[in-house]
Amino acid sequence: MHDELKSFVFRELVHVLDETSFSGDDDLLEAGLDSMGIMRLVLFIEERFGVTLPDEEIEPDNIQTLNRISSWIERHR
Amino acid sequence: MLVADHLIKQQMHTPDRIAFSENGRDTTYRSFFVNAGRISHVLLHHGVRPGDRVCLLLSRGIDAAQGIYGILFAGACYVPLDPQNPASRLAYIMGDVRPRCIIGIGACPEWCDASVEWIDLNNPQLFGDEQHGDIDGVYRSSPEDLAAILYTSGSTGNPKGVSISCRAIDAFVFWSATTFGIGKEDRIASLAPFHFDLSLFDLFTGVYCGARTCFVPQSLTLSPKKLVAWFDEVAITSWYTVPSILGFLALRGGLAPGQLPAMKRILFAGEVFPLPGLIRLAQALPHVALYNLFGPTETNVCTFWPVQRSRLETLESVPIGGSACEAELMISDSGELLVNGPCLMSGYWQEGHVQALDHPWYHTGDRVSRNDHDELLYHGRMDRMIKSSGYRIEPAEIEAVINRFEAVRGSVLVGESDPICGQRLVAVVAGKSVDLEALRAYLKQNLVAYMQPYRFVQLQAIPLLTNGKVDYRAVAGMI
Repeated sequence: MHDELKSFVFRELVHVLDETSFSGDDDLLEAGLDSMGIMRLVLFIEERFGVTLPDEEIEPDNIQTLNRISSWIERHR
Repeated sequence: MLVADHLIKQQMHTPDRIAFSENGRDTTYRSFFVNAGRISHVLLHHGVRPGDRVCLLLSRGIDAAQGIYGILFAGACYVPLDPQNPASRLAYIMGDVRPRCIIGIGACPEWCDASVEWIDLNNPQLFGDEQHGDIDGVYRSSPEDLAAILYTSGSTGNPKGVSISCRAIDAFVFWSATTFGIGKEDRIASLAPFHFDLSLFDLFTGVYCGARTCFVPQSLTLSPKKLVAWFDEVAITSWYTVPSILGFLALRGGLAPGQLPAMKRILFAGEVFPLPGLIRLAQALPHVALYNLFGPTETNVCTFWPVQRSRLETLESVPIGGSACEAELMISDSGELLVNGPCLMSGYWQEGHVQALDHPWYHTGDRVSRNDHDELLYHGRMDRMIKSSGYRIEPAEIEAVINRFEAVRGSVLVGESDPICGQRLVAVVAGKSVDLEALRAYLKQNLVAYMQPYRFVQLQAIPLLTNGKVDYRAVAGMI
C-alpha cells in the first residue's frame, strides 16, 4: 500500500527533486501538496483501498507525511 | 478618486473600523493608512518615482496589502511575485519589468538583480520614528497611470505582464461594489494570491466600500470542515474564489442548508465550474447568491451570470451570461469573444514599457455563442491555452523549457480532461534518446508545480501537416 501511495503522490500530487531521498516522514505540505492535491488524494485512497475517510479527518495532521497518510488509511480498514 | 484614494476617504470617515484581519491580527483603516504611508515614504526615499515599478515578494496578507497601497501612494505600480515560482521565472520577470525596488521580508534572494534595491520590511531601522499619517505626500494618480502588472503564462514561451491602469481597476471596483451591493458591514474572505486578478476585489472593492477583508489562513484550505467552521466563526458575508475550492467544500466540507447564515454571496471565476459541484453548492447554501464571473486577466471581468437555481438541472454548462463592468461584447464570425471597455488592460509590459493595444477590441481567444436567453455560453479556447485548477497555462511556455533539454527534438504540450482539475498536462516529446527521468527532474527545477506534466509520451518525431505546422489532431490521437 505504501509504495502504491508513494508512487501516486509523486506522479500526480507533488513534484520533488529527488523522490528516492524523500522519506516517509518528510513534509508533503512543504513540498507543495495543496487543497486540490488533497482532494485527489482522498478520492484516490477511497477508491483504491476501499475505505471511507470522514470529512472532519481531512486535515494536515493526517496528510502531512506518507507515514501519516498510511496510518490514517489503516485506521479505517 | 482613484484606487488608493478610496483608502484616504475611508480612513477619514471610518478611521476606527477594521480594514483587514489576518490570523487574529486586526488593522483599522487609520493604522492601515498610516502604515501604507510609511512604506510610501521609504519608497520615495529609495528613489521610487511616479511610473516606476515596485515588485512585491510577499505572501498575501496585511503586510503585502499595506505594501501595495504604499506603492500606489508613491505613484508607482505594484508587481506581485509568487514566492512559489522557480528562481528562473522570477529572474525573468525582474528583467522584464525592471523594478526600482523589491519589497520582501528577510534577506534578498540570490536570483534578485543586485542593482535592484531590496527593502526588508522586517528591518527595524526601515521606518525610523516617523509616523507619516498625512495625506500630503500621496501622489494623485491619473486614470491611465499603471496600478499593477500581473504576470501570466505567455504564448511566446515567457510569462507576460498584463498592465492594468488605475482606471481599469476603478471600473471593476465600482461595478463589483454596486452589482453585488457590498457595504461597510460586509466581511470579505480573501484567499486568492495577489498575482491573481481575483485579488483586486479583496484589495480594492473592500476598501472602497469600507468593508472588512479577512485573509483565510492558508492551513485551513487543507481541511474543508475547518474552513467551513472558520467562515462561520468570522461571519464572512462575501467571497470571490475559484470553483475548484468551492467544489472541495461542497463535496467534503459537510455543507448543508442552515449553515453559514452570515454568507450573502459567493462569486467564482477562473475556470469552468462543473455542473454537479455547482448544483451541490447551490442546494447546500440556498440563501447565498451565486455568481459566475468570466474574463481573462487582460479584460478582468467582462461577463457574469447570476446563478439561477431553478435552471441548473436543465443546463448543459454554466452560462457566462452578459456584460459586466460596462464591457462591450462582440462575437466574431469565427465565434471568438471580443471585448472593449473600461476594464481592459493598457497592454502587455515588454522590456521597460507598455506595448499599447493596436486594436480597441481585445480578442479573448475564447469561443462563445448566445443561447435562447440571450446569455453567452463558453465553448473553450480558439488556441491551445490550457486551464488546470484555475491556472492558465500557455503550452508554448512549457514547450520552450522542454525543448532546451538534451536530445529533445521538439515537443507538444496538450491537455487531457481530468475530473478534478479540469485538464491535466501531457507532454509529447520527440527524441528517442531523451532520458525522461532526467527531463522530469530538470522540469521540476525550471517550472512551477502547476506546469509540471502529468505524464510524458515519447515519439521519434512530432507529426507535422504538409505546410510544416504541428498536426495537433494527430498528436491528440497519440496520447
